[in-house]
Amino acid sequence: MDSSDDIEDVSLFDADDDVSRRSKKSKIRHPVASFFHLFFRVSAIVVYLLCELLTNSFIACMVTIILLLSCDFWAVKNVTGRLMVGLRWWNQVDDDGRSHWVFEARKVSAQGGKTSSEAESRIFWLGLITCPMIWVIFAFSALFSFKVKWLAVVMMGVVLQGANLYGYIRCKVGSRKNLTSMATNYLGKQFLRQTMATEDQAAS
Amino acid sequence: MRDLKAVGKKFVHVMYPRKSSALLRDWDLWGPLVLCVSLALMLQGGSADSKDDGGPQFAEVFVLIWFGAVVITLNSKLLGGTISFFQSLCVLGYCVMPLTVAMLVCRLVLLASTGTVSFIIRLIVVGAMFGWSTLASTAFLADSQPPNRKALVVYPIFLFYFVISWMILTFTPQ
Repeated sequence: MDSSDDIEDVSLFDADDDVSRRSKKSKIRHPVASFFHLFFRVSAIVVYLLCELLTNSFIACMVTIILLLSCDFWAVKNVTGRLMVGLRWWNQVDDDGRSHWVFEARKVSAQGGKTSSEAESRIFWLGLITCPMIWVIFAFSALFSFKVKWLAVVMMGVVLQGANLYGYIRCKVGSRKNLTSMATNYLGKQFLRQTMATEDQAAS
Repeated sequence: MRDLKAVGKKFVHVMYPRKSSALLRDWDLWGPLVLCVSLALMLQGGSADSKDDGGPQFAEVFVLIWFGAVVITLNSKLLGGTISFFQSLCVLGYCVMPLTVAMLVCRLVLLASTGTVSFIIRLIVVGAMFGWSTLASTAFLADSQPPNRKALVVYPIFLFYFVISWMILTFTPQ
């Protein structure tokens, strides 16, 4: 009984524990952060697409897009990454003047302290990956249709969002052993859940 | 918040250029962005273009400032400077502040009159601010170079701020 404590946690209280854990994992713990993570990126893209219709002035569009991109960069780098997936990266200058980049990932504690919810993680990575790709598409379209005056804005979009994407990917795959242990953990839990579910079905 | 305070501290440092490492240690590009956008906004709508939107001019100023800063940074790095890429961009961007102030003053003076007297006033103001910008940025940047290469680093900075000052001085509203 002592050795199978872990399994007891899963099997005896399987029904409602699993449901509560599933609901906990799909609950969004930081709704404001999630909203703003997507809001700035998507509104920058929307303003870029609709600028011709919204206003005659090119400058208003450009300034708006630049402000939205900057707010988005700051929010994603400093706030939403830390809250939603527990990653952060920054540039550190030592006392002797050399600068190096630091990438950190919050360790997932086995006791289930502050695990990130799956829904938040999905929202985060979805927003992080699709938006730079859209800006790259805009860059090519601006280049090939010779709308050079938009190229400055689009380049800024690509650079800022690409930088966040690169930083967070490096955070994620930075410590390789962390990644493999997380993967093994996850696969182990999945396998356990599968076997318990089939046992449950067989029993009932 | 923390970031806003850091930006404010850097602006104060530019006003009184002392050889402190605070500007260099925690670089950030918010100040340069704000300065660049405000300078570009103030410079638009001033040429004899037939287009009635100041579109290309805004983008021109923006690209000029950032591209110029990048080129100067690359130059100083290729000459063997010990300062990092973003730190140099940060310093160059923040030292555009006196020129932004000069632009503001010029616009106010131009509201009053557009004659020779206003031109002389503008010339003096822009010249003073140009000297201040160049001195402030060289105070920070020239230190990171070996002594026989200081002139090679100072010259592009001089040119960069000279071009911006020229744009400010030759600005005539429609």
